[in-house]
Amino acid sequence: MTAVAPDTLAAGTQPAWRRWLRRHGWTVGVWILLLALIVYYSTLIPRFGWFQVASIVNNSTPLVFLAVAQAIIVIAGGIDLGVGGMLVLSSVTAAQLMEGQGFGVTLLIAIAIIAVAAAMNAGVGWIITVSNVPDIVITLGSLYVFQGMALAVLPNPGGGTSEGFRYMFTGSNTGIGSNPWPAAIMMTIAVAGVALWMGKTKGGLSLYAVGSDKTAAYLSGIRAALVKIKAYAIGGGFAALAGLATTAIAGRGNATTVGGNLTLNSVAAIVLGGVALTGGIGSAIAVVPAGIILFFLNPILTAMGVDPHGAQVIQGVLIVFVMAVTGLLEWRRRRRS
Amino acid sequence: MFKTKFFSWRLLAVLAAFAMIVAACGGDDEAGDDETFTLGVSNTLVGNAWREQMICAIKAEALARGNVDEVVLQNRNTDVAGQIADIQTLISQGVDAIIINPADRSALDDVIAEADAQGIPVISVDAPVTAPEAYFVSNNQVEYGEVGARWLFEALGGEGKVAYMRGLDGHPADTDRDDGWDAALADFPGIEVVYENWTGWDPSVGAQQALEILTTMELDGIWTSGIDYTVVQQFEAAGTDYMPIVGADNNEFVRQLIEMEGLSGAAVSNPPSIGGVGAAVALDILEGKDVAKETLLTPVVLDTTGELEDVYIPDLTAGWSSYMVIEPYVTYTDAQAVIDCKGPGE
Repeated sequence: MTAVAPDTLAAGTQPAWRRWLRRHGWTVGVWILLLALIVYYSTLIPRFGWFQVASIVNNSTPLVFLAVAQAIIVIAGGIDLGVGGMLVLSSVTAAQLMEGQGFGVTLLIAIAIIAVAAAMNAGVGWIITVSNVPDIVITLGSLYVFQGMALAVLPNPGGGTSEGFRYMFTGSNTGIGSNPWPAAIMMTIAVAGVALWMGKTKGGLSLYAVGSDKTAAYLSGIRAALVKIKAYAIGGGFAALAGLATTAIAGRGNATTVGGNLTLNSVAAIVLGGVALTGGIGSAIAVVPAGIILFFLNPILTAMGVDPHGAQVIQGVLIVFVMAVTGLLEWRRRRRS
Repeated sequence: MFKTKFFSWRLLAVLAAFAMIVAACGGDDEAGDDETFTLGVSNTLVGNAWREQMICAIKAEALARGNVDEVVLQNRNTDVAGQIADIQTLISQGVDAIIINPADRSALDDVIAEADAQGIPVISVDAPVTAPEAYFVSNNQVEYGEVGARWLFEALGGEGKVAYMRGLDGHPADTDRDDGWDAALADFPGIEVVYENWTGWDPSVGAQQALEILTTMELDGIWTSGIDYTVVQQFEAAGTDYMPIVGADNNEFVRQLIEMEGLSGAAVSNPPSIGGVGAAVALDILEGKDVAKETLLTPVVLDTTGELEDVYIPDLTAGWSSYMVIEPYVTYTDAQAVIDCKGPGE
């Protein structure tokens, strides 16, 4: 190869691995943090085996999917407070429709729910782009609308699903066991798919373009409104996936679950995952360990003997700390360039 | 290109090292605790006085027995999916027995079966679960619903409009109480239920609903699932005439019944210190004693001044019950042990 890539020239004498690390440092860091926490946890408890691993992987699946949903939308310059409501709505709709059905039927229902959720959230994105009302206002509305719809779909906790469907998300027909692989594979396929699309294709990269500078993106020929609607649609699909995972874990639906709390957890997860709330920066790959860590904090703090009420404070402090660190890094980067 | 590969190789080595440490830690076998035990507790409703007292009673009993080294709490506001995760966390952390207040009657069956398979007995306190492995320690909630409802319908002379302010939607204690309510209602054809809603066992929600009822409908009586004193407060604030009201043996409600002129009502006993009985049952099982699968308390209706004064403690928290030493089950002999709310090692 004689030709030199332009970005190598721009980076001057910096070796390739340092550039790679600068670009993906946060992602690597969060994964290492997760591994370190797992190692630490294993020293706190008397036995650490597949049951413990499966418990962590399976139960963090809903939050991971919801965080990925939020990440896609935030990277495209939006923010969706409604994802938690969408999770609850999808979960109870699944429980209501899947009760007593075989695996094949439940799978079709699941696909239909994801499609409808994506379409509904595309509608939310469309309203935002045509009305020019801030995302946070419109999606606060959609949060309440989805939560209300969930109560209408399933007024009392109940419903059900098939054993095969529970296996898909939990590695066990009963929703509990020592098999983390199905959940891990589901997460890998969905997240790797969306990360590849966002990082390698024109359509996916336009999310970053619109998120970092809408006007510039528009002037370079990207239809910013359409990109945003697309981001909301995919986010809606991922929120539905999170809802389906919840139904698989619980084996039923519950519309009284507070969607707003789930939304806040998703925002906390993307902050920890290095997604800039101002848009344009972040990766779905880094959001996965962040989501797992947020779920995992509860077992760790319990094992450490921290008072449960104190645990919430620590979670909050951690989020502020992460925000401060990202802010500092950004400030340093700007001063250097 | 070469250097990028070098870095990934190094990263891989770091990850492999981590993985090996994880694997090494996985080799540990269960530590055999001959003398002392660890109790796990899963509760899914916080900021609720009843549940707080339940946990304090568990701690008090654990301390009084002397052979508990720690009470591990999974205590947060969550749903069934969250409670399944919490119980798995308690199993993971090697507790010897798990005391739960179940968020659902049947959805926890599989996780309870898993705990049982790992040799960890599960004691369901306050409400039943369908899991055959579980022990059940509770106030009889069907009777709780029925005796209070009968008192109210009789107080109204079998005729009138009533509000039915339920507990937490889907919670097995709520559905059990509903069965009792229906049984009583069947005997009183003159009673009309004009309002039915869930308070979520949240005093502020109960107050809000009471205000709504007061301003929008004509009523003759109110049954509450233990969210009682904030309802009375709304009547007081609005200056409306009192009507017969049924609640639980919450200290503040008992005070209102004793002191407030013109207020008639009944307090049905539902002691949160049942948690202490749950801990006693858990430890009996762990000590190898023969334990009944079911321990049920019979609720008592308190409505005359003498009875009410006996159960009133002036300085007790509003939502707590004075019935703390539940004989013959608990080991602690003084209510102060529950009020102190100290477990082993605290």
